[in-house]
Amino acid sequence: MTAGQSYWQIVWKQFRKNPFSVGSLWVLAVLFLLAIFAPVLASNIPFFYHDERGTAWPWFRALFNPEQAVDYWFNLAMVAFFPWLFGVVVHAVRYRRRYPGKLLPVGKYAAAYVLAILGLACLLMIPGFRPDNRYRARTFPEEEFARQGRARAVYPLIPFGPTEQDMDSPVKPPFYRKPQFIPNPDTEEQVLFWRKSNDGFPHILGTDDVGRDVLVRMIYGLRISLTVGFVAVGIYMVIGIVLGAIAGYYGGFVDILISRIIEVIMLFPAFFLILTLVGLLGQSIYIIMVVIGLTGWPTVARLIRGEVLKQRNLDYVAAARATGATNFRVLFWHVLPNSLSPAMVAAPFGIAGAIITEAGLSLLGFGVRLPAPSWGLLLRQGSENYHYWWLVVFPSLAMFITVTAFNLVGNGLRDAMDPRLRI
Amino acid sequence: MWSYIVRRLLLMIPTLFGITVVSFCIMQLAPGDPLLIQLGATGLAGQTTQTREAYLIQKRDLKLDRPLLLNFRYFRDYSRAVYWAGHYRAANESQIAAELAVLAHDPERLPKGQERLAFLRSLGIPRFRTRLEDPAEHGRLAQAVAAYVQVFCEDLGHHGVPFAVRILQSRDVDRQDKIGLIHALNSMVVEPFVFTYSAHPREEETPYVVGAWWLWWRRAESTTRPLTSTERAELESRFHALCQMSQNQLLEELDYLDPQTVRFFAEKLLGDSTLREKFVASLALRRLVREPLRLDVPADAPKSLVDEVAENWMAHYQLYRKRYEPSALLRVAYVFTDTQYAHMVWRLVTFQFGRSATKTREPVATKIWNAVIVSAPLMLMAELVTYLIAIPAGIIAAVKRNTLTDRAISLTLFLLYSIPSFVAAMLLLLFFCYGDYLKWFPMIGLHSEGAENFPWPRYLLDYLWHAFLPVMCLSLFSLAGLAMYARTSMLEVISQDYIRTARAKGLSEFTVIFKHALRNALIPILTLFSSFLPALLGGSVLVEYIFGIHGMGRLSWESIEQKDYPTLMALIYIDAIIVLVSILLTDILYVLVDPRITFSAQGEEK
Repeated sequence: MTAGQSYWQIVWKQFRKNPFSVGSLWVLAVLFLLAIFAPVLASNIPFFYHDERGTAWPWFRALFNPEQAVDYWFNLAMVAFFPWLFGVVVHAVRYRRRYPGKLLPVGKYAAAYVLAILGLACLLMIPGFRPDNRYRARTFPEEEFARQGRARAVYPLIPFGPTEQDMDSPVKPPFYRKPQFIPNPDTEEQVLFWRKSNDGFPHILGTDDVGRDVLVRMIYGLRISLTVGFVAVGIYMVIGIVLGAIAGYYGGFVDILISRIIEVIMLFPAFFLILTLVGLLGQSIYIIMVVIGLTGWPTVARLIRGEVLKQRNLDYVAAARATGATNFRVLFWHVLPNSLSPAMVAAPFGIAGAIITEAGLSLLGFGVRLPAPSWGLLLRQGSENYHYWWLVVFPSLAMFITVTAFNLVGNGLRDAMDPRLRI
Repeated sequence: MWSYIVRRLLLMIPTLFGITVVSFCIMQLAPGDPLLIQLGATGLAGQTTQTREAYLIQKRDLKLDRPLLLNFRYFRDYSRAVYWAGHYRAANESQIAAELAVLAHDPERLPKGQERLAFLRSLGIPRFRTRLEDPAEHGRLAQAVAAYVQVFCEDLGHHGVPFAVRILQSRDVDRQDKIGLIHALNSMVVEPFVFTYSAHPREEETPYVVGAWWLWWRRAESTTRPLTSTERAELESRFHALCQMSQNQLLEELDYLDPQTVRFFAEKLLGDSTLREKFVASLALRRLVREPLRLDVPADAPKSLVDEVAENWMAHYQLYRKRYEPSALLRVAYVFTDTQYAHMVWRLVTFQFGRSATKTREPVATKIWNAVIVSAPLMLMAELVTYLIAIPAGIIAAVKRNTLTDRAISLTLFLLYSIPSFVAAMLLLLFFCYGDYLKWFPMIGLHSEGAENFPWPRYLLDYLWHAFLPVMCLSLFSLAGLAMYARTSMLEVISQDYIRTARAKGLSEFTVIFKHALRNALIPILTLFSSFLPALLGGSVLVEYIFGIHGMGRLSWESIEQKDYPTLMALIYIDAIIVLVSILLTDILYVLVDPRITFSAQGEEK
């Protein structure tokens, strides 16, 4: 170990040696960007709409008033992304110049991003700052179509919304494009079939049973999957780390009590317990996150407890105590940072697991409710009739890629952190 | 060694306690009244008397009318609450609404206005205060009061009876309130008197049966016809015959009795006779007398009737005094033992799961057994496949470490690890069963139609054909995990000194791997055995859902979907117990197999 290298720098150095893990980090970055920029990629609300009555910017207003609460946070992340990126680049250039050869503080950048999003949310809570969505009931594609030639609108890349239905084209295969004219059965005459301005655009991955675009739903479903994964794991990491550390450090009665609780919760089969709780409490993405969080912490707590038990007998703890640090300070400032690695390894696997759990719940009909987009719900629609293979194959593929990416990151992290396992 | 096992068993007690606590909390989370939901009633108003009674009996059966954790009801004075409950039971809705209108503005105008208000508040009607302010709400609020008073009486149960009976006795209560109290008593006690013995009569029942009939006889004696001696002799011989009959014959024969002969049976029952004779006589009387004692009154009953019924209730109270006024010691004991939690623990510990809450009312145990025999063979096959593939794969990968074989195996395992079982199941169904691509396997179920008539080899083949894909999906995930685990543990063993020694001795590579390394590498794999039994009996919700197999996983899903709480509770509890037992078994096995483990350190660092 060379001087001046922190533990995380060593971990990162080791991590970079594994091409699969680094590759999956890139995959995850792409997935995150897809989730953050979903409205730019796909929305049935135009950026800009102009007719004889004037000009409107509905997309920007809708950004701050989405139907799903999850979308609100991701939209804020999108708004904050470029200012943050600019700040990071400027800072990085200056940092490189000042400390050549040093690694960039990635964790601080990520924290800055989260703070930027939270700050934006606080700002928008001030009355008058948040743009109201006065176009809530207006459907611009239809309006524009009705005023053909006299209205102009600019749409995102894919002009379909995640919940936009089209009863004329249910369960259509990938690359289906609506015919512009269809023959009238009575007169054999061709009649116009298009009713909306976005009807001419092909459904790249097909449509579901009420004509919602599968690709768009998958992009927006990515937001739900990632949110569930991160928030649920965040909840159980916090609970697990705190309780595990307390149990390991203080020992005695506290340890016995917490260990018993851990043991009891681990006795119940995880998926069944989550399914029961969600079934009893009701279906909502928040309840799912909280329930996964509340049932997942014992694993983390056990890992942390074991590590703290090892660490608390080391010399540096005695040294810290000798300087007069309180138990609380010794535990959370000295012991805990050194005991985090097993829990950190568990986190990516946990996120993958939470994503799978959410999809499974939705597949069973206990997850998020229609019309919210979720991969599990697409699979559920597919499981009703396997003839519509695109409802099964594409969400499966998306899930496989996401889960594999998280697992590979976890694998790389484990190899980097625990040299004993790297055989 | 033994001390270790004993210690593990002792540690199981707090864990078991924890399991019951978690189960109890989960049941309390259930929204609304689970029993009301299962009876399909929308509210109290929409119920017929019969569903209400069935509901009540079931509620009392499961002891859901008790307090959750501590029962202080034997120490409380309910006299005022019971009085007001009677008062509001007697009043009709318009009367209550009129009273509410007064209470809302000037409670002092009614006698004891504040007390009434306090009672109404204690009922726990949602938004009572705000609704009381609003005159337009009074009509519906009156309905709510009527319904909640009924529930109050039902939940109070027999704790209210002594107070109600005492109030009935006092002179300064008017007729209407007495009628209300009698209604309240009828809600508190289901079946106040027992007129017949249970199917297997016991001597302890006699005082209650005889007491009930004696009360009736005291009033009815004067109206019954005396019997002549010839009649008596004839009845005596007939009665003797009745006593010799089997249960079914007896019930049939009782239909032919003459209503004029009531006196004979009453004398038999109340006189000096054997248990069997009393049993027969009580059955006969029950058949001959339609309504021995009146316990309920119509709203406009005359004073004489009210007094008669009140007297009957008093007699009931006297008869069951032991239940209503237990000894001081018992009262203290009931604080802890007569609660919802305590009763639930008792049901769980004694494995009484009762009947399911679905329409069929099947016993939960049968339901679970039927599901287990479907999913257990399936899971057994899956586990066998897992172990048979995973351990060799892991060992090969470890032995040929860092070669192309190792890389290929590791990569495959990793990809398998990343496919959720239900995704695999759906993709397999799509490509191999649906027929758009290939139609090699059946879509759903475990048997073809009419499979029960097949000769057994064909039946077995048919079963295996159906089970192939589910078993594959069930084994996929655990296969990857187990193989990776086997690889790591084998690698660890291979790097040990004793393996180098074995190689240095000049032993063949085969002997080194299979005789020295494998044995020790398998020890850590034993820990995974703890998941074997739970998986065997637990099934998989998602895979069974997708393949339409009615096993344990499917049962869990259905019981949640149908809000079948008794089944759900049993499933959760059984699952936890099985995991507990298998962890215990694994620990003991581990200690037995690996002599390097010292027993003393086990409890501490595990």
